[in-house]
Amino acid sequence: MQIYTVEAALLVFLILITACIIYCQDILSCVMIYSAFSFCAVLLYLMMGSPDVAFTEVVVGTVSTIFYVIALKKIDRWCK
Amino acid sequence: MKEPFGGYLLNIAFRLLVPFTVVYSVYVLILGESSPGGGFQAGVVLSFGIVLGRLIMGEDCKLFNIKTKNTLVIAGVGTFIYSLAGWLTLFGGGKFLDYSFLPFAAEHANELHALGILMIETGVTICVMMTILNIMDAVVKRSDDDGSAE
Repeated sequence: MQIYTVEAALLVFLILITACIIYCQDILSCVMIYSAFSFCAVLLYLMMGSPDVAFTEVVVGTVSTIFYVIALKKIDRWCK
Repeated sequence: MKEPFGGYLLNIAFRLLVPFTVVYSVYVLILGESSPGGGFQAGVVLSFGIVLGRLIMGEDCKLFNIKTKNTLVIAGVGTFIYSLAGWLTLFGGGKFLDYSFLPFAAEHANELHALGILMIETGVTICVMMTILNIMDAVVKRSDDDGSAE
């Protein structure tokens, strides 16, 4: 029963993080919050019993965060 | 990257972390057939060393200095290794990627299966690593040459 509680909490976290990404005005903050989304997705995949998908999600989340930060380094950071 | 991110702390952390990531990627590649992991993950983890080196040390990093032209060529070599495993089984008398017909000496068919899977995953590792470096080169070069969106 407790495992379902944790899983439900993680799903609620996913929805909250997505709402934060939508309403956030700063692009760099969006990238960082997106990495938090990736982390919650990794925990969910582990609970659903697929460590292979979780490992792939870890790797892809890290690489995409690095690429976003590289792309954001030269452009203007704030939205209008 | 012409302007590095680096500072004192990041340089030290880079020197400590990168050897462990390289060894861990080889571990993921070798044990990928019986546990979580595999060619894609090993390639991405292996490319972390070069990506972090270019981010932290900038243009001065001569440690893994791979040019953009060479990344495409080496990615093609990785794909060639993958297809070579398939063609070897064809020449051995079986179907494409049928590992039991690999022309190597082995006592059981399981050893041939492990060898074939290791071969194609090595090819996937090389291809993924070089493709990620190529994407990073494309992003960095565009933002450096055009002077960004200003």
